[in-house]
Amino acid sequence: MLNMKRIKQNAPAIPILVWIGLLVGIPLIYVLMLSLLSRDNLGNIVFEFTLDNYRRIFDPVYLKVFLNSFLLATLTGLITLFIGYPVAYFTAGLEPRKRSYAIVLIILPFWISSLLRTYGWIILLGNTGLLNNLLMKLNIINAPLPMMYSFGTVLVGTTYMLIPFMIIAIFNSVDKLDRSLLEASSDLGAGKWRTFFKITLPLTMPGIAGGFTLVFIPSLGMFFISDLLGGGQNIFLGNLINSLVTKGRNRPLASAFSVGMIGLVLLVLFIYSRITKNKKEGLFL
Amino acid sequence: MVSTRTRKIFALTLAAIFVFALTGCGGGSGSKQINLMTWGGDFIPREIINQFEEDTGIKVNYKEVTSNEEMQSLLEANPNQYDLAVTTDYMVDIMRRNGQLEVLDKGKLPNFSNINPVYQGNYYDENDEYSIPYAVSISFLLVNPEAVEQLGAEPITGYKDLWQEELKNNVVVIDWSVEIMGLVLKSLGYEYNETDPAIVEEAKQKLFELKDNIVRFETNTPEDSLINGEAVAGFMYSNQAVKGKAADDKLEPVFPVEGMPIYIDSFVMSKQAPNKDNAYKLLNFIMEPEVSAKISDITKFASTNKAAAEFLPEDFKNNPMLNLSDEVVENTSFYIDVAAVTEEYEHIYSEFKMK
Repeated sequence: MLNMKRIKQNAPAIPILVWIGLLVGIPLIYVLMLSLLSRDNLGNIVFEFTLDNYRRIFDPVYLKVFLNSFLLATLTGLITLFIGYPVAYFTAGLEPRKRSYAIVLIILPFWISSLLRTYGWIILLGNTGLLNNLLMKLNIINAPLPMMYSFGTVLVGTTYMLIPFMIIAIFNSVDKLDRSLLEASSDLGAGKWRTFFKITLPLTMPGIAGGFTLVFIPSLGMFFISDLLGGGQNIFLGNLINSLVTKGRNRPLASAFSVGMIGLVLLVLFIYSRITKNKKEGLFL
Repeated sequence: MVSTRTRKIFALTLAAIFVFALTGCGGGSGSKQINLMTWGGDFIPREIINQFEEDTGIKVNYKEVTSNEEMQSLLEANPNQYDLAVTTDYMVDIMRRNGQLEVLDKGKLPNFSNINPVYQGNYYDENDEYSIPYAVSISFLLVNPEAVEQLGAEPITGYKDLWQEELKNNVVVIDWSVEIMGLVLKSLGYEYNETDPAIVEEAKQKLFELKDNIVRFETNTPEDSLINGEAVAGFMYSNQAVKGKAADDKLEPVFPVEGMPIYIDSFVMSKQAPNKDNAYKLLNFIMEPEVSAKISDITKFASTNKAAAEFLPEDFKNNPMLNLSDEVVENTSFYIDVAAVTEEYEHIYSEFKMK
C-alpha cells in the first residue's frame, strides 16, 4: 500500500525519468560499450572485447592531457570563485529592484552565441586587436604584445564564459543566509573578517561547491575555446576526443577518453556531495 | 554465444539510437525527387540545384552534414533513404570496401567524358566505377615574402624552409596530426602516412624541431594570421589561400617542391538508392561544361571538368590557386589509409603539443 502511494506521488516525475533514461542513459551505455571494442584499419567498429583502449589512455603523454584539462578546469573554478564571490555577495545585499537589474546584467551575455563572444576576445587581444592598438598609439609598447594562443588565453576564455554560473550559485546561497546570525556574531565580539570566515563562508559553502561543480564540468569540454583562443598550442581532453572521433576515426579510443572524463566529473560530484552533506559543521572550523 | 548476444544487444542499442536520431529525415521513393547529402555552405550551389529542378521537375532534398564519418553512418543506417552523397576520396574507398556503393552505369552518363583524366583512376576508385570527381582542393603554403625578408630569413620555396630559426613564432599550420606529419615526412623526402617505425621516429624528431616556429594551429581560418601579420607563412587549404590573397595582395602562394596533399570530393550513389534514374540525371547535369564552370566560380574549388575551362571567367583562369596546372596536380598525393596511422600520429602530435 505504501508503495502504491509512493508511486502515485512520484508519477509526474516518470516522463522526465524516461526521457533522461533514453537520451542520457542509452548514449552513455553506448559510449561505455564502444570503449571496450576494437576497430579495423578502415575505422569500422569490430565486435571484439578489449581493454586496450583503457591501457592506452594511461600513456604518459595522454595522462599529461588529463592533467592539463584538470588544471584548466580547477583554475577556472578557483578564479571564477574569487571574482564571483564578492560580486554575488554584493548583489545579494542590494535592494530588490537593483538586485533584479544586476541579475539580468549577469545573465545578459547568454543571449549572445558563445562562439561570437569568443571571437570578441580575439578582436580584443589579437596582434592587431584593440588592446595592442591602444597601447601602441599611447607609445607604451612599440611592437604588438603577444597575448593570444597560450594556456592563459584559454583560461581567460573559460573564466569569462562560465563565471555567471558561479555568481548565480553563490548568490542563491548568500541570499538564504540568515543575516541575524551576522548581527549575533558581531554582538558577541567577532570582527568583520572573523564573522566572514566563521559564519558567512561556512554557511555559503554549498553555493561555493555547487558553483565550482557547475564551472568545473563544462570547462573540461569546451574545446572550441581552446581551439580559437589557444591557437591549438595546448591539448585538452575535449580537443583530443573531438579529433579522435572525427578525423582520427577511432571511436573506441575516444570513448575510453570520454569514460575517463566522466570519471573526473564523478570525482568532483563526489566531493561536492561530501561538502554539502557536512555543511552544518562547516569546512573551515 | 556470449559474443553473438552482446552483438545483438549492441545492434539493438544502435538501432534505438538511430531511430531517435533520424526520425524526421526526409525519405520516400519512386517520386520525382533526389535525396542528396553533403557539406553545407553552398558546396553544391543552390543556384545550380534550382536550375536543375526547373529543367527537370525533380526536387532535390539537400541534407547538410559536417563530416565524412557522419555521411558514412547515415548511409549505413538508411541505405535506401539516400541517393547521392558527395564525400572525400578516402571515404569513397571505405564506403566501396564496405559494399555501400552502386557501380555507376556510364551509359547513362555521357558527360563523364568531360572529366579531366588527371583526376581519374585514383586509388580509391581505380576504374572509375563508383565515383565522379566533383571538387578538388590541395594544401600548399601562403607566404608574405616581404615579411620573411624583414625577419632575415631565406625566401620560402618548400616545407624545408619553415624550419629556419628566423621564423620563430611566425608560422601557422592546419591543426591535424596527419597533415602535419605529412608535411614533415615530405620535407624529409618520404611519402605520406609512412608506418615504418624508423621513418616515423625520424619524422617525430624533425617535427619537434618545428615547435618553436609555429604560432598557431588553425584549421578553419589560418589565412587570418597572415592577413593580420601574426604569421609570415602558413600551410593551408587552397580555398583559404585564395581568400587570404584576395584580402592582402602581398601574400603569395608557394607550391612546395616536395609535393602537396590533394583532396577530391566525389559524387557516389547508394547501392539501395530509391531514385536512381533521377540521380543519374543530376550527375550528368553537374558534368555539363557550363554548369561545372559556374559551380567552380561560385565555390572556388578547382574544376575537375576539362571541357569547363573555356566557360570559366578570366580571373579564375589566371589564378594559379584555382586553375591548378597539371604540373602542380602531378606533384600531389592522397592521404591513404588514414585510419591505420592516426592512432600513432595522434599520439606523436599530442606529445609534440604538450612539449
